[in-house]
Amino acid sequence: MAELRKVAIVGSARIPFARAYTGYAEEGNLTMLGAALGGLVEKYNLRGEHIGEVMAGAVLSHSRDFNLAREASLDAGLSPRTPGTNVQIACGTSLQAALALGAKIAIGEIDSAIAAGTDTVSDSPVVFGDKFQHRAINLSRARTTGEKLKAFKGFNLGELTPVAPSTQEPRTGLSMGQHCELMARQWDISREEQDALALRSHQNAARAYDEGFHDDLVVPFAGVLKDNNVRADTSLEKMATMKPAFDKQSGHGTLTAANSTPLTDGAASVLLASEDWARARGLPVLAYLTLGQVAANDFAGGEGLLMAPTIAVSEMLRRSNLTFADIDLFEIHEAFAAQVLATLKAWRDPDYNRVTLGRDTPLGEIDPDRINVRGSSLAYGHPFAATGARILGLTAKSLATSGKQRALISVCTAGGMGVAALVERAA
Amino acid sequence: MAQMQTPNVQMPPSRAFTFHLDFEGLGWLTIDVPDAPVNTLSRETLAELAGIVTALEEMASSGELKGVVLLSGKDSGFIAGADITEFDEMSDPGVLRAALDRAHGLFDRIEALKVPVVAGIHGFCLGGGLELALACHYRVAVNDDRTRLGFPEVNLGIFPGFGGSGRSIRQAGPVDAMQIMLTGKLLRASPARRMGLVDKLVRVRDTLRWEARKAVLQARKSSPAPFTKRVMALGPVRGYVANKMRAEVGRKAKPEHYPAPYSLIELFEQHGDDWRAMKRGEAERFIPLMNSNTSKNLRRVFFLSEGLKKQGVRGKDKPVFRRVHVIGAGVMGGDIAAWCALRGMGVTLQDLDMERIKPALDRAKALFRKRLRSKTEIDNAVARLEADVTGKGLARADVVIEAVVENLEIKRKIFAEAELKTRPGAILATNTSSIELERIAENLTAPGRLIGLHFFNPVAQLPLVEVIRSRFNADADIARGAAFALAIGKSPVVVKSAPGFLVNRVLMPYMLGAVQRVEAGANKEQIDAAAVAFGMPMGPIELMDTVGLDVGKSVAEELGNPVAPDSQFARLIADRKLGRKTGQGFYTWSNGKAVKGEVPPHPDLAGLGRELVQPLVNATAVAVAEGVVASDDLADIGVIYGTGFAPFLGGPMQARKDGRA
Ligand SMILES: NC(=O)c1ccc[n+]([C@@H]2O[C@H](COP(=O)([O-])OP(=O)(O)OC[C@H]3O[C@@H](n4cnc5c(N)ncnc54)[C@H](O)[C@@H]3O)[C@@H](O)[C@H]2O)c1
Repeated sequence: MAELRKVAIVGSARIPFARAYTGYAEEGNLTMLGAALGGLVEKYNLRGEHIGEVMAGAVLSHSRDFNLAREASLDAGLSPRTPGTNVQIACGTSLQAALALGAKIAIGEIDSAIAAGTDTVSDSPVVFGDKFQHRAINLSRARTTGEKLKAFKGFNLGELTPVAPSTQEPRTGLSMGQHCELMARQWDISREEQDALALRSHQNAARAYDEGFHDDLVVPFAGVLKDNNVRADTSLEKMATMKPAFDKQSGHGTLTAANSTPLTDGAASVLLASEDWARARGLPVLAYLTLGQVAANDFAGGEGLLMAPTIAVSEMLRRSNLTFADIDLFEIHEAFAAQVLATLKAWRDPDYNRVTLGRDTPLGEIDPDRINVRGSSLAYGHPFAATGARILGLTAKSLATSGKQRALISVCTAGGMGVAALVERAA
Repeated sequence: MAQMQTPNVQMPPSRAFTFHLDFEGLGWLTIDVPDAPVNTLSRETLAELAGIVTALEEMASSGELKGVVLLSGKDSGFIAGADITEFDEMSDPGVLRAALDRAHGLFDRIEALKVPVVAGIHGFCLGGGLELALACHYRVAVNDDRTRLGFPEVNLGIFPGFGGSGRSIRQAGPVDAMQIMLTGKLLRASPARRMGLVDKLVRVRDTLRWEARKAVLQARKSSPAPFTKRVMALGPVRGYVANKMRAEVGRKAKPEHYPAPYSLIELFEQHGDDWRAMKRGEAERFIPLMNSNTSKNLRRVFFLSEGLKKQGVRGKDKPVFRRVHVIGAGVMGGDIAAWCALRGMGVTLQDLDMERIKPALDRAKALFRKRLRSKTEIDNAVARLEADVTGKGLARADVVIEAVVENLEIKRKIFAEAELKTRPGAILATNTSSIELERIAENLTAPGRLIGLHFFNPVAQLPLVEVIRSRFNADADIARGAAFALAIGKSPVVVKSAPGFLVNRVLMPYMLGAVQRVEAGANKEQIDAAAVAFGMPMGPIELMDTVGLDVGKSVAEELGNPVAPDSQFARLIADRKLGRKTGQGFYTWSNGKAVKGEVPPHPDLAGLGRELVQPLVNATAVAVAEGVVASDDLADIGVIYGTGFAPFLGGPMQARKDGRA
């Protein structure tokens, strides 16, 4: 097989992230994703351009959006010859898409690609319970009046209560937040530590905004110009007043609305390419996507729902013979402050390293000044499938503008999975 | 495209249209007028269409054509109307009559085609374009932000002349159809659908052809307005409805100045219950309108305003304006900030403290509530406007607009700081009314960066922005200023930095002249009525009250016309009777309206009005002569937009040339 090609990150575009039921109350996944891709089209002059493949997804999705990636590509004005593939691995969706597309670019299957994700809670599909769903299907197939009546036998009005889309873990019946509470207790993460991390995220993000870092990454959409969750003026005192959000009873609850990500609407996209493709169009190469890893753990067996990134990162570093000391920037998605803190603690823990990661020497400590230096999901918000692309775009620009060499991304996902990637500075 | 069929009938050659027949027997007719940004229906294009329709008729009777879909090949939209550049030469009644007859005949033949004809509409579908669409059997339109349907003819002193008066009434019913023809208001897709002008909406342009295909294959036909709508044009109801329309129109336009809407209402009164008769009656009324001075002048105003839109920077250097930093949250700064946020910009608004910004934010909210449709849109606009006491918005702003108190030292200080803190490409602009631009700019490192962007009060209502040029400015500085004004939906007129610029300079002698007459004993109601009879939107005394007597005084002084201390004018100011804002000026104001007494009879009110505006016209001529504005044309459009000067007269310079002012 021919030599693998480098995977260039040309740049990114995303729409501002908005807390659920605010700025995008009248939008949906298709219009949001279309706008994010449209941002790339504008920025990199891609109108009518044939992109090798667009891979995108949404975690909460209407069935009418079965070809979301394809439809959004057409809406954005890419060439009709651009194929669009829907993918989905919860919060890891758009990072996973980037890894899959990167591999295709590396082997020469395609020369350009867009990895993207979108999610909206404000326009999530409302469905009826299973019972009613089945009745409705039976009714639609019924031919005789008798059959039709039969479809409604034993009907009670309670069946009509809509079931809100749920991010509950099917296997455990616990919400993500409830799982993270357990992790916080298991790893002995204090409320104060969590609040401090959240505060830092907001401050870092606000600073990045004020410095204009996001000015060429965020494209206005539906009259919204910037993320509306970043709080420059929040404080530990304010955060300390919040009540636990998930464990309201036991008295042990430490996760609050302030140290957890809010429900968020948004979409983000990243343009990847071979170096030749970028060069031929006079487009920049901000950084290279050099490595990726997806991993999963036995969360149902008690390993901690959001702990799988520890494994993904460990495996990825093992493959590349790198240690934490070789990494200049860490982009650790903040689903919850506690999740980040538990992950960091696990990497330092000799037992965890030995038993779970198969390492005799722990991965060890990370300099806090290298972690999420421009803030992360606690501040920006977390439209599930969009987060990976947001982080990848921000990371590539960070490397291109900071003189740093290497960045590591880790994203936890529902179902006890984690996606990690390595990004290296170009030139 | 691949399975194109060769029709047995010969299609005539055409520049504007392409046609192909597909294997299902659908004829795809696409209009894409060459070398033009938008499609218009010129005589040539209509002639080509006539030839094509002849071929379609043959193909339809031979059975090889199952239906026709009319689409536009342009991104800008369907068809923007008839070609206005041809109107002058077509005004000759003989020529016009023949042209109208041909167009009517052509549209009637399209309507009479034996196969379904479907229009697929995106973007602009206006005037003659909408009339053509209405002659099709079914209309599909894209339901997005850019779709606009309507009849702007009335703004040109005419009304729909290709059968649109009758056909719009047929589809939308008399009340809605007359409403859009009388106001020229453009509709978005959903309201157009609700009104019955469009039959079906689709999400994206790709889908137009598929929905149109379905419509052809199912031989769908748009249904006319239901009886519940048509009843408003039946029997004696019609006269009543017509009178209501007259009263409505009368609030904005006088018949002697703007005859078109009145003529359309008469046509409706005659034939409103019979759309064919209405269509037939069009031409007779249309011809004199087209040939009127009003229409000629309004056409000129239209071209002048289109010309303003061509200023600014185009092509790849076209600047993107996203963030505006406004310093000074008073009357002007606050409203400028609100306007920019309304138009989609991110705005930071700075003043000395939060208390001074708060009222501006409240006014902004009221504006958003008035102009925007949904709660989300309003909330998003509110989020775009941020109070910024510390001025952190300066660093990232694309445009900085200063509107602080009229004080040279303060302004100098502000720009000295702005020059240091802003990005090099950012526009620096002052809204000063009376300080010479050069004096604010002279201490800057790059004095050429400072331009004037002179807005008018009330900002949300007045379309004009004077882009003030100092002797330091380069063309590029001014072009970017104009580009910004256009980006926020205002009309820029470039004016040299000279006392009063253009608008205040021409208004002041007119207003002061009127004040003097009142001081000498003239009746103020009569003075105001005379100006309105001449064609001004508001009389000069009422205008002085609206502007504020204090503001008027300071502008007067700046222009070398000090107010005599023993005058009524000076006494009113001394008593803080400043006009509308204090509830008392020359008039008493109640609920935002001047309380007016009876107008004493006068044998020639309009003649008196003409006398009153003499100083304004004279001052405009001097401004042009002194190079304050570059041309008669720019002076006319600037004065029309800045003062409301009678558009039907074509502006002060035109009116003088025509011996009408
Ligand atoms: N009022 C009009 O009709 C009109 C029309 C066109 C232009 N202008 C011009 O606009 C400017 C403002 O006029 P206005 O009527 O809005 O005045 P205003 O008095 O209503 O507002 C001026 C504002 O500037 C603020 N201010 C003063 N010094 C400041 C500083 N150093 N930094 C920040 N803010 C400061 C004040 O607190 C006040 O809120 C003037 O230059 C005026 O000539 C006025």
